[in-house]
Amino acid sequence: MSLLSFERRYRVRGGTLVGGDLFDFWVGPFYVGFFGVTTIFFSLIGTALILWAAAHGPTWNIWQINIEPPPLQYGLTFAPLMEGGLWQLITICAIGAFVSWALRQAEIGRKLGMGYHIPVAYSVAIFAYISLVVIRPVMLGAWGHGFPYGIFSHLDWVSNVGYQYLHFHYNPAHMIAVSFFFTTTLALSLHGSLILSAVNPQKGESVKGAEHEDTFFRDHIGYSIGALGIHRLGLFLALSAAFWSAICIIISGPFWTRGWPEWWTWWLSLPVWN
Amino acid sequence: MSGFIAKLVTVVTLILTGFAVLGASMSTESAQLGYSGTGMQQVAFKEDLEALVAASQAPPAFPPAASDGPRSSTAYQNVKVLGHLSTGEFTRLMTAITTWVSPVEGCAYCHNTENLASDELYTKVVSRRMIEMTMAINANFKSHVKETGVTCYTCHRGQPVPNQIWFTAPESPYAARLVGDNAEQNQPAALAGMTSLPVDPLTPYLAGSEQIRVISTGALPDGNRASIKQTEWTYGLMMHMSTSLGVNCTYCHNTRSMAEWEQSPPARAVAFHGIRMVRHLNNEYLTPLTSVFPPARRGALGDAPKINCGTCHNGAFKPLLGAQMLKDYKELAAPYVPTATTAAAPPPAEPAPVDPAAAPALGTP
Amino acid sequence: MSEYQNIFTQIQVQGPPEHPIPIADQHWRTRGTFFSRLVGRIGSAQFGPIFLGGYGIASAFCFFIAFEIIGLNMWASVGWSPTEFVRQLPWLALEPPPPSLGLSLPPLNQGGWWLMAGFFLTVSILLWWLRTFQRAKALGMGTHVAWAYAAAIWLYLVLGFIRPVLMGSWGEAVPFGIFPHLDWTAAFSIRYGNLFYNPFHALSIAFLYGSTLLFAMHGATVLAVSQLGGDREVGQIVDRGTAAERGALFWRWTMGFNATFESIHRWAWWFAVLCPLTGGIGILLTGTVVDNWYLWAVKHNFAPQYPAVYETVPDPATQPLPYVVDPKEKS
Repeated sequence: MSLLSFERRYRVRGGTLVGGDLFDFWVGPFYVGFFGVTTIFFSLIGTALILWAAAHGPTWNIWQINIEPPPLQYGLTFAPLMEGGLWQLITICAIGAFVSWALRQAEIGRKLGMGYHIPVAYSVAIFAYISLVVIRPVMLGAWGHGFPYGIFSHLDWVSNVGYQYLHFHYNPAHMIAVSFFFTTTLALSLHGSLILSAVNPQKGESVKGAEHEDTFFRDHIGYSIGALGIHRLGLFLALSAAFWSAICIIISGPFWTRGWPEWWTWWLSLPVWN
Repeated sequence: MSGFIAKLVTVVTLILTGFAVLGASMSTESAQLGYSGTGMQQVAFKEDLEALVAASQAPPAFPPAASDGPRSSTAYQNVKVLGHLSTGEFTRLMTAITTWVSPVEGCAYCHNTENLASDELYTKVVSRRMIEMTMAINANFKSHVKETGVTCYTCHRGQPVPNQIWFTAPESPYAARLVGDNAEQNQPAALAGMTSLPVDPLTPYLAGSEQIRVISTGALPDGNRASIKQTEWTYGLMMHMSTSLGVNCTYCHNTRSMAEWEQSPPARAVAFHGIRMVRHLNNEYLTPLTSVFPPARRGALGDAPKINCGTCHNGAFKPLLGAQMLKDYKELAAPYVPTATTAAAPPPAEPAPVDPAAAPALGTP
Repeated sequence: MSEYQNIFTQIQVQGPPEHPIPIADQHWRTRGTFFSRLVGRIGSAQFGPIFLGGYGIASAFCFFIAFEIIGLNMWASVGWSPTEFVRQLPWLALEPPPPSLGLSLPPLNQGGWWLMAGFFLTVSILLWWLRTFQRAKALGMGTHVAWAYAAAIWLYLVLGFIRPVLMGSWGEAVPFGIFPHLDWTAAFSIRYGNLFYNPFHALSIAFLYGSTLLFAMHGATVLAVSQLGGDREVGQIVDRGTAAERGALFWRWTMGFNATFESIHRWAWWFAVLCPLTGGIGILLTGTVVDNWYLWAVKHNFAPQYPAVYETVPDPATQPLPYVVDPKEKS
């Protein structure tokens, strides 16, 4: 059931990163592997801890569940379980699961003779998460600077941390990150549209190829980046969005403690204006 | 493959070490202002805090003076506000004020040294009114200044003109032309924390009494017509308050719900009274002195210099970080009661009755 | 890990420029092309030819007018000083009319220029949509690009036209300016009780991040199988090769599910399109249907509750004030 028509000839053992052929098998559509096992291990424990923490909270309303980091007073030490200790353990499990997942991607890519673009890209997302819950809290000296785990409670954190710097939109790295997010989405819509419009042409027309794709964008905006280039560009834009997001929060606190609008004073006082 | 793992471990270790070292080298202090994980926190560089502490040292108090002996009103001429003090107390306060306000210029900044009683210098007339203002603040605005109170030094810090004063901004010269109106915003606004928010967010609220509250108190539309532009004016005022106190928005608000008092730290109520105090002082004490100030001391529109949150606070959440200066100068804590018209002065210690007709205007928008 | 991952084009071959597909209105196409080796490191090195066309020229002309109105107003607002124009540029703006003027035709310098710039920008955008549609038609292709672009136009129109009209005030619209539009955004969230509690805002952000995630996944997958010809996607769609098979199996083995080389572009299209679509809905509902999103969240039980850690105080405006206030005074 779970095997695609062409799948059997790709399901070859070997090519693992660690563990030899110990976990070198598939379960349903999933490849297991050593890092699959560690992924499952961290995910199960992490999920159980989330459920435990939620059980101690006041609500099972999915939108309201909130698992908060320790108070600042605990600094970088371990906090009691019900005062953020669970948050710390969940964070460890999350990082364990995310890193396992990235290594699992590397292993699967290797088995399929593919490049390592996907695990590298995913690592940037992991870096953004680690920036929020490890790097910045460590730099500020307290785990309490991490964000809480909850659907709307994490938005409250975003709101308040933004207003810690009076007007977060003036954070230059935030500006760059948001611009990359918007540009990525624009580029994705253009790429998705172009392929769909080539494969789903007008009634009575045959499917279009690269010549039509290039012609459309050259006619339209004077430039077509091409089939290979758009994937390089898309990957670059997406990773830049995540990277600058991480930068924008890392600099807020450890490197700048005042309102972000005030940061721009350097521009106004450049010597070139005189 | 072991080479790959080794490389990976090395890279991860390097990264971890990197930010650990970096973290240790960064020296910040944090304060928690709300429930854990809500992001209601204040982060500051230790270096900045040390500078603030250094700049917030109150001068040592002068030794107390004898309260017996003749009153200054009889011993000296033209003593209108402090006549009830003994000559010792009076001289002590005058000396203190000189060190607080004009340590370089000395007595001559306000007094004709040939005739100390003369009111010929405008600075003396202003000083007298400022002494009355200080007494009014300490007596009537305990809701904001508590028992800590204020003295001349709170604002003056050893200078004849306090660091942070403000004037109403003149209208943009381009507003009346064909092109280039900036709607009193859209330029670097120092009073609004260098945003492009309105450049003079103080006149409507700290001189006038425009509506600050813009957020609806119900989930659904119910007649609140406050616009986004109006919100930008309020935001400008809030930027001024934050930067004046060296705090961020979460000092007074849980920003998930800026409007709700049930969500807000108690400091917000102190700030509420502060806005009304500053407004009252500008309208009752500073603006009436307009004609007394020489033109050079007035603003572009000829208005008197006015006070804002930063005049007293000077970047600290409490002026002078809460130094208790007033307890050594109790004479500034007593409300000024003009000797001739004692009966006319209202007893300010008691809460003034609220005019029921005024309540809706004060109430939530 | 040190093997070639196809991040840059290492050897560029430059022949004669590629010719576009012949079309009926060929005469609108420019002839000239040029090559950039630097750009060729990443994508096609060839620039041009471009199709001019009536819609395109009219659109560019309208955009130029809007751009000039905005720029000259900004410049005028610093007294025509070139230095101050550059220095203060991020702060400068062309502001919509004051709210007191409602939807009336404002004086030129109190929002009139803004209205005019908005008009020309809108015409420019709509003409560009027609061009997008027409170019696809001329090549016999689907019109997916045009409809995706229409989703962005929807958000633009909601912000600058539909919502201000529903609110009865041009003053509700966004100013043209770098920092000023950020101030507008922040004030918009504050005025309406925290936009994070607007579910459509949440959806829009989810699609924005989702689009970024999808492009990272898709771009990385295609690059990872590019040595097998994975970048020739249409070819892989109509005649599946090992690149498409490996790309599909990668995700199937990783997360138990995979798209096809065609369907990933449908996922992409919908994620990207739904971002402005839901965002526009969220903006449109704000102030018209919901006035305080936080309180709306409380009403519908999705705002979290936190233990009290400080004593809350009643609104002082509802309490007797310990000092005399001006009876005209507002909060």
